[in-house]
Amino acid sequence: MKVSLFEQVPYRHMPEGFEQRHHSVVTAPYDVVDPERMQESLRSAYAELMHGARAGFDGVCVTEHSQSSYDISPNPDLLAAAIAWTAQAEGLDVAITVLGRSLGKTREPLKIAEEYALLDCVSGGRLIAGFPVGLSYDANLNAALPAIETRERYREHRELILKAWAEPRPFPWNGRFEKYGQVNVWPRPIQQPHPPIWIPGTGSPGTLRDILRHDYAFVYLSWDGPKLVGRQVFDRYWELADEEGRESNPYRLAFLQVVAVAETDERAEREYGKHLEAHYRSGIGAIPHTSMAVPGYAEPAAVEAMLRGGGGHGMLARMKTATYRDIVESQVAIVGSPASVADQIGEFVREFRIGNLLVMLQNGSMPRELTEKNISLFAEEVLPRLRPIWDDEGWENHWWPRAQGTANAAAGAAPGGRA
Amino acid sequence: MSASAVDVRDETVEVWDGRLMLHVKVAGDGPPLVFFHPLPGLAWQPLLDRLAGRHTVFAPEHPGTSPGDPHAIHEVQTFGELLLVYEEAVRGLGLERPAALGHSFGGMVAADLAATFPRLFSKLVLLAPIGLWRDDAPIRLAEMVAGPPEETPGYLFAHPESDAARAVLALPDDPALIPRAVAQGAWNIGCTTKFAWPIADHGLGRRLHRVEVPALVLWGRDDALVPVAYAEEFGRRIPHGRVEVIDDCGHVLQADQPQRTWSAISDFLAESRG
Repeated sequence: MKVSLFEQVPYRHMPEGFEQRHHSVVTAPYDVVDPERMQESLRSAYAELMHGARAGFDGVCVTEHSQSSYDISPNPDLLAAAIAWTAQAEGLDVAITVLGRSLGKTREPLKIAEEYALLDCVSGGRLIAGFPVGLSYDANLNAALPAIETRERYREHRELILKAWAEPRPFPWNGRFEKYGQVNVWPRPIQQPHPPIWIPGTGSPGTLRDILRHDYAFVYLSWDGPKLVGRQVFDRYWELADEEGRESNPYRLAFLQVVAVAETDERAEREYGKHLEAHYRSGIGAIPHTSMAVPGYAEPAAVEAMLRGGGGHGMLARMKTATYRDIVESQVAIVGSPASVADQIGEFVREFRIGNLLVMLQNGSMPRELTEKNISLFAEEVLPRLRPIWDDEGWENHWWPRAQGTANAAAGAAPGGRA
Repeated sequence: MSASAVDVRDETVEVWDGRLMLHVKVAGDGPPLVFFHPLPGLAWQPLLDRLAGRHTVFAPEHPGTSPGDPHAIHEVQTFGELLLVYEEAVRGLGLERPAALGHSFGGMVAADLAATFPRLFSKLVLLAPIGLWRDDAPIRLAEMVAGPPEETPGYLFAHPESDAARAVLALPDDPALIPRAVAQGAWNIGCTTKFAWPIADHGLGRRLHRVEVPALVLWGRDDALVPVAYAEEFGRRIPHGRVEVIDDCGHVLQADQPQRTWSAISDFLAESRG
């Protein structure tokens, strides 16, 4: 199994009770911010991702959100570029996963083609290209695009980016949303025709079928933990894979899990409990649910199914008042000693056939020192127990970057050098 | 949809080179009048019953809002195309210079049709139309649409507790029907806001001088969604425009002040007809 460190970039000093007065997105008031603490919050995220790369994670992973206090990452390629170059300079063989630039939100899809290609070059062919639609609040409120066009834009932009990477000669593009006379991006990805493509989604059948037909990987960025929705989403995925004639290779499925590890279960609760509560309450718990589905963003049949209880976003509705007990009992976060964490993760990973695991080890107010302890403990004590999980089945991970040689110890050196 | 006092029949009209079958509710007798509905879609309502007492009312459903035909919206790519679709529909229905009445989003559609095709209509009634923008009088359409449902009545009504206001936002009595009704309602708003998001300014203000027909601009003094400041903006741009502002009245005039709204509309439509 491949295990990547996933990190968002929250402001770590949200005032007590913020969620009772404000939303964490779109209208989150900036005057709660102390500029020096903002610097510290942002820099910590870069430092922690590098800490993870050095600690032996297979990859690092970032996401895009604008006008948000819980993930200050308006363009994740900026963060990814810093990590990609530094990791190369240090000779670290680490995948760079951007999950990603939002294709339903962007007004400049060719920028995404260029940025991803650049990341792939700088990292020596270690990019995983995430192609998310984008959350409704981000695409339809922050970027203010009509909700009903979000998916049309997504489809056109994905097609354009893939063509821009693969087409050897300049070509014109006469799309519904984009028109160009000469599409000719520089650079092109090292990984041709394209880097591995991961598609985050909520697991609707239409999205899953689209992923399987194109042979991409499906990423479930769970905020609910595996218990509440895992059964439903992943069973559906593997059934559809079978219908589409795709083998049940676990690497075509990636899953995000929040984890906090300490020396003992008791110590984990003591050290991480308040930070986890703060994260859920003032972060994703303070996203108004109406802004997750601006009218027109979801098909009427999907909205109806969700209202009839088929959507199963069990914990999300309660995040704003979540207690530590709620969080760990629902496995929204898996918290404890290395052994208990590894056991819990190993169990659902095998059950749902997850080949690419993303773990989120920084949450809300968690300071850098504690986050780096979490990263180190996970890397040393948990990761080695998870990595061999699929070895006995002998699958190949077609959704992992095809790095060109090893990482270059001197980042400016000519390509192809062997360490 | 509330029960109607008149017979309402469903018609369809094929437009847009056969790519769209527009659904139209038709009722009444008399000179034709086309009703353009607001953001949430077409709801037959007491105002339309009253109009049907004097007119043959044609009430088209915005593409995508007719149950069972959600993807029709994707056939209409721009607001300009929407205007062409409606102009084709008026001709396709065989209507000769009908009167036009539009509310809110429908007011913008009716006003722009009258500006773009100056001889399409005979008269124009605009109930609190969107379509213009002033920085000092923001229209909080996106905030309402993306905000919590419990705040919606405050945008729409001066008297949200009245029976008429409650009827506008009523859900089906049968709980089993509610999910579908809510999903349809949300989709309808997706279909209309496609042409009104986040700011419904397609340059109508630069075209309103082209409106040739007599126009009545009717506004509620306490409109919390589209401020009454816009009544004057429409009034001074439309050459034969008359503005009336109704006191103690919000955005859904026909619910907050049904009698006064009806008097203003019916007096205007009766004037020098023919």
